[in-house]
Amino acid sequence: MSDSTPTPASTPLTRDVTVLNRYGIHARPAALLVKTASRFKAEIFIEKNGVKVNAKSIMGLLTIEGNHGARLRLHASGADAAEALDTLAQLFEQRFFED
Amino acid sequence: MWRQADSPKITVAEFFEAGRASLSLDWELNAEKAVGREIKEVALNRPGLTLANFRRHFAYRRVQVLGLAEMTYLASLEPEERIKRVRLLAPAPVIVMSRGRHLPTAFRKAVLEMGVPVMRTRLVTGIFINSATVLLQNMTSPRIRAAGTMVEVNGVGVLLEGEPGIGKSEIALALIKRGHSLVADDTTILTRDSTGCIQGAAVPITREHMEIRGLGIIHVPCLFGIASVRGAMRLDLIIGMRKSTDGREDDIDRTGLDTATRNVLGVPIPLVTVPVAPGRDLTNVVEVAALNQRLRQLGHNSARALDEKLKVALSRKD
Repeated sequence: MSDSTPTPASTPLTRDVTVLNRYGIHARPAALLVKTASRFKAEIFIEKNGVKVNAKSIMGLLTIEGNHGARLRLHASGADAAEALDTLAQLFEQRFFED
Repeated sequence: MWRQADSPKITVAEFFEAGRASLSLDWELNAEKAVGREIKEVALNRPGLTLANFRRHFAYRRVQVLGLAEMTYLASLEPEERIKRVRLLAPAPVIVMSRGRHLPTAFRKAVLEMGVPVMRTRLVTGIFINSATVLLQNMTSPRIRAAGTMVEVNGVGVLLEGEPGIGKSEIALALIKRGHSLVADDTTILTRDSTGCIQGAAVPITREHMEIRGLGIIHVPCLFGIASVRGAMRLDLIIGMRKSTDGREDDIDRTGLDTATRNVLGVPIPLVTVPVAPGRDLTNVVEVAALNQRLRQLGHNSARALDEKLKVALSRKD
């Protein structure tokens, strides 16, 4: 529904991440991602194989099926986009504090 | 009329899973070859002419169906010739045997070598072809993912849109409590079916679940009964929710005279934008919007009817 989303003034930043924890993005990591993403004003999306979901929505995150080893792309636009990407990428690197 | 450029690819394994029950399918041979094997042309073919050794224009990209006639014909050939003819089907994605027939043992070795998956259907050929065509078309219909919660309200399919946290799921929950049902929470898959209607459904993995802030993930039919969820529903109306603190009110319809629409996969869907303010009961608004949409579909536009009355009354005053 691209015609409804307003185009952000700034160009979105992207960052590629890999799902490292064993069980992938199940409910707990999804909740952690949503909580973390929601601290930022930036619009944040997570993409897998061309499917983009809002990083501030837990149900959306569960539908992308981010299994162990999946390569995802983070998109962020807004004032604190760079900081948001750093923080989220760190969560992936730290395996969402699992394993 | 509809181009299928944005259609998803479909593999033999996916076709088998989707049709296993409705087409009563079973594997006969080479099942392990089905994963990742693409059905390049979404149609079925009875390869009678090819088996009769007329090799031009063989629709080899399609699903090949061997029915009573094909099998009887093959049986009439000399054993060696028979196998040669069957080998002509090697480029096909899959072979289907109708009437629950097994592959004759004479062919098994050749077909194993060809590596073409073979399945059986218990249906007769004609019925199988009709049902399989519909199934294949629905599986490959153009689709998009919408960031929105979809509910069924008095028979009207409504997609609630708005940024995360605006209250889509809370409204859906309130509607469920009033006897309406949930189609999909947060993410809705919209497809255009063969009749040109837009159908909404949940992503299979999160179907029947929703997230309510503060409560977490709930399983809707466990709490509210099986009638509280629906598998798929036609999309009749989109309701866009917007924080009214944005201060923009210029695009909020105050009369209902003009019907805005949104283009979804080439189909115009009526669109209503409602401002969200603290204390505003949006459940009621959504319920009335759905009823109003139904009224419009039946040919009655309340705003226009009142406007006509107003015009008549005003012209009398002159």
